[in-house]
Amino acid sequence: MAVDVTEDVDHATEAVGGGLGDIDTRRARRGLGGIAAFLLLWTGASLTQPSYVLPTPLAVAETFYAQTASGEVFVALGNSVLHWIPGAVFGTGLGIAAGIALAWSPYLDDVSSPVVRVLRPVPPLALVGFAIAWFGINHAGAAFIIAVGAFWINFYATYGGVEGVSDDLLDVARSLGVNGDLELVRTVVVPASLPEITTGIRTGIGRCWMLVVASEIFGVAGIGRRILRASNNLQVDVVITYILVLSLMYLVVDVAFRALQRRALAWR
Amino acid sequence: MAMSDVDAEPRVRIDGVGKRFEGANGPVQALSSISFSVREGEFVCIVGPSGCGKTTLFRIIAGLEPPTSGSVYLDGDRVDGPGPDLGLVFQEYHLFPWHTVAGNVGFGLEQQGVADTERERRVRELLELVGLDGFADTYPRDLSGGMKQRVALARALAVDPGLLLMDEPFGAVDAQTKKMLQDELLDIWRETGKTILFVTHDVEEAVKLADRVVVMAKDPGRIRAVVDVDIERPRSRSDGTFSDTYQQLLDLIEG
Repeated sequence: MAVDVTEDVDHATEAVGGGLGDIDTRRARRGLGGIAAFLLLWTGASLTQPSYVLPTPLAVAETFYAQTASGEVFVALGNSVLHWIPGAVFGTGLGIAAGIALAWSPYLDDVSSPVVRVLRPVPPLALVGFAIAWFGINHAGAAFIIAVGAFWINFYATYGGVEGVSDDLLDVARSLGVNGDLELVRTVVVPASLPEITTGIRTGIGRCWMLVVASEIFGVAGIGRRILRASNNLQVDVVITYILVLSLMYLVVDVAFRALQRRALAWR
Repeated sequence: MAMSDVDAEPRVRIDGVGKRFEGANGPVQALSSISFSVREGEFVCIVGPSGCGKTTLFRIIAGLEPPTSGSVYLDGDRVDGPGPDLGLVFQEYHLFPWHTVAGNVGFGLEQQGVADTERERRVRELLELVGLDGFADTYPRDLSGGMKQRVALARALAVDPGLLLMDEPFGAVDAQTKKMLQDELLDIWRETGKTILFVTHDVEEAVKLADRVVVMAKDPGRIRAVVDVDIERPRSRSDGTFSDTYQQLLDLIEG
């Protein structure tokens, strides 16, 4: 009898494990099919167009290889990373801090709400003038543009998370001896809103890669600069090459962050 | 209030507590001049129909809400906010989902700056007390309702509060688990000698657990009677005195 039960359990586990594996391989197969179809459509379309409108995938692959082999990709990437990292770090940090402060303190919220509403719709690109005036045409200026984009995403994600923290958990914490705003924020508010905060960080990281192009529009070197210059010269294969580099970077960072997020939120 | 033992301050003294809310159609008197005391080591239940302000009274005694009149005293000191002197257990558990069982139970100790090794020892003892040894590293999402409530109880007991305040703690679990938790709570009460104030709408539960039952009435929330339950433990439903007391309380509640 006991043996039977154990066997049943084993079968059940196997079935579930096998089932998940099936779904994973099916997903992968469908994904590869999608890529193949996309490349096929692209090839078909590019054959009817001159290469300065749409190069073939093969031509792009050749350019990609050449740019990588010559090291140009890495130079551009290195430059972009030098403002992507400080921009993302400062924007994310300040956005989270401001989100916590304003969602936690009704006073701060009342005071800053009108200013926030005026500043919120300003696109980061519109602030290029300030970037140049305050920081100059350098990494700091580009980082500023990126930071503005990261700031708002993290601000709103954190604000929403903190607003949703259950009053009951705060009551329990107080009854267990947690005193004062800072302690409540540290012991309850931040861990309770970590799912929203980390989702904000993740969205923000993606937005920062997009903003790399915008942040280099006024002359700072990097991937965006390469894309803009190649566009002016109608080198569409180069444009696509650097777009691919951006996408790959986004993918790598996103996968890494998702792994971190999953570990931090193991309790969910 | 006449007390036979004049020089002994009760563990908890609720003194003329009233609460008015500003409702949409004018002020609502939720509680009106509630007064009673709980002696050290006593197990007191508060029962009453829904809407009689039991939970409001719970929140006022816990220091989570101020009364509009009167005061609550714990060991002679006026309660003006929540704190580790008052251990709270809620119907909905309110465990910290990001902490393991051990993290939840040790939360209050960590706040008090208890050293790691001492904290681990105390947490282990408490988990044993509530029958959850072996679950230290489990997250709340993987626990049943009954287990969650055991964690919540251990968490409240960890800081050694002067009063354990429980708001319908077994209202969200199935009947069988409820009976088991009641028995366990009585064991823990005997073992720790804690003073317990227990809010419930379940009359049978009150008769089973309490030394005394405070019966509330509604509109406005007030005390209708305080009934001594003088039945030897363990108490059995089939006992004649049990059913008499049960009927007496039921009649009082239904007014």
